[in-house]
Amino acid sequence: MMPASNHSEVPETRGATRTRASGAALDAHALALRRTVVSMIRRVRVGYLLQGLGAADIFATLFFSEMRLRPDNPEWEGRDRFLLSTAHNTALLYATFANRGFFSLDRLETYTQDGSPLEVNASERMGAVVEATCGSLGQGLSVAVGMALSLRRRGSDARVYVVLGDGELQEGQVWEAALSAGNYRLDNLCMVVDRNCLQVEGHTDKVLRFNPIPAKFAAFGWQAEEINGNDRTALLDAFDRARACKDRPYVISALTTPGAGVPFLEGQMSHVALLTPEDADRAEEYLKGMVK
Amino acid sequence: MTNSAAEGMGGFKDVRHVSPATLDSRSYGRALLAAAREDDRIVCLGADLSQPTQTDLFRDEIPSRFFMMGIQEAHMVGAAGGMARVGDIPVCHSFCVFITRRVYDQVAMQVAYPKLPVKLVGFLPGLATELGPSHQAIDDVALMRALPNMVVLEPRGPEQVGAAVAAMLSHDGPVYLRLMTSRSQKDDNSPLVPLTIGKGQVVRSGRDIALIAAGIMVRKAEETADLLAGHGLSATVVNMASLKPIDGEMIRDIAKTHRAILTAENHSRVGGLGSAVAEVLAEAGLPIKFRIAAINDVFSEGASLTYLLEKHGLTAPALCAAAIGLLQETPLKTIG
Repeated sequence: MMPASNHSEVPETRGATRTRASGAALDAHALALRRTVVSMIRRVRVGYLLQGLGAADIFATLFFSEMRLRPDNPEWEGRDRFLLSTAHNTALLYATFANRGFFSLDRLETYTQDGSPLEVNASERMGAVVEATCGSLGQGLSVAVGMALSLRRRGSDARVYVVLGDGELQEGQVWEAALSAGNYRLDNLCMVVDRNCLQVEGHTDKVLRFNPIPAKFAAFGWQAEEINGNDRTALLDAFDRARACKDRPYVISALTTPGAGVPFLEGQMSHVALLTPEDADRAEEYLKGMVK
Repeated sequence: MTNSAAEGMGGFKDVRHVSPATLDSRSYGRALLAAAREDDRIVCLGADLSQPTQTDLFRDEIPSRFFMMGIQEAHMVGAAGGMARVGDIPVCHSFCVFITRRVYDQVAMQVAYPKLPVKLVGFLPGLATELGPSHQAIDDVALMRALPNMVVLEPRGPEQVGAAVAAMLSHDGPVYLRLMTSRSQKDDNSPLVPLTIGKGQVVRSGRDIALIAAGIMVRKAEETADLLAGHGLSATVVNMASLKPIDGEMIRDIAKTHRAILTAENHSRVGGLGSAVAEVLAEAGLPIKFRIAAINDVFSEGASLTYLLEKHGLTAPALCAAAIGLLQETPLKTIG
């Protein structure tokens, strides 16, 4: 197996080792992500605001505790791989990259601007931090399976994390990939389904009912569970169980609330929300008040 | 479109690091296996067609690098993208129609856009199956040509298969390899033929008309040239195994030195070899008599290859008649 690159001069505690972050630290990170998301959507007025707030706890736990990453060296071979299969929840994704130190917060000001690599749908124009260009729904899990197969074949202990939208489960390719992951017993693969019940047409149940999610994946050879995706402790515990699980891929169906963390936005069901300057003020004021 | 593999196609390298065992092989399966013995990045992906795609050899000798994905072509291509991102060179196999049309979006987004070294190998090109339109890839070249970063290769027969595999594996980017199984082409003794991405090959030189062909139609074009000779006409025959990038320089030179060009392909007339040649001619402003012999924008049917080639006018006598008709047409008028 290829050796991990040595960046010992970097004072990075969450590089090659995995250290569970404290609750207080994650509280602060999740809050920072939400504040960044609101500021980004304020600039563009319309965007993936509710999903960004809703999934902030998933991203905070993954990027600030669970995954082994080296922001100083995004191409470090030993890194855990992260894929956002929907590719469109990018206010949150880019906010996470910046807050995690992959690039400066200033760069977020170019979000969705013409010529900027910070496109609405994340692409690898961003560089290595975007592991694959997804966005055509249903493809991310297949890419993750391929990565997990090759990492395992090469003896790497890197893990692959992939976040799918719940509506995305309607794509047939997801189930091809799910069968494949179960067949190959990919215990280095962990999927999070962002179960916010929100798709373009409205509530997922009004479009195509697909509960129960865990039972479906269990039948495909996965270890599966459903948790409150806005409960960071529950997420950390679930990732612990996922890592301990052998011979099976792991799926966490994470029930999230669109707009979570900003009370007057919580539970709103709009795929692409308009954020008026007044509402942005209100949201920012609220989140500022939460800073400890 | 670039006419040179070296231009904008992702660091084309020559085939020197591929061994003679690959280059000399007349069987796809043996050529791939020989290359994989020397390069442990090569992984083989299948979709329930190991024997028909000749990958049973790989499966049996290197099981640790063989991945049977089941009848899940879309997932196979997506997973291949993931494997390539970890450093492997995945080679995906199915029939031509399923490795192109069925998985077009996956190929576009997980292979072509990121310019990954994923290789797509398809069997049963064009009319080469009795299974009918579900299995007849009459639009695969058009589809793959339309994708940025994609190289499209169609060797003339067993004598060029090893070179095609070597070129495919040596290219640092995605390649679609369109293959007829050697079983259906029994002449295994003709001299080996090289293949260079972006280059056509003049198989024989003539003066009156140029026959530009790919795949099984190269042999038909040679037979056509023989028939034309009987009519006192001298034909150039070109093997255009590199369908993309296509050898524009060769096409322009031919247009300047011949009275007519007839292309021949086992594919729809829309978007294939004929279209590619026409694009070069039109953009160069070269006035020359020109015809495309191809499947005439129709779906075909399940029947023997011999019957279907006859039905679609893709036999040597039909091509000979087309060539004579083309040469007898009123000369083109120049404008101005």
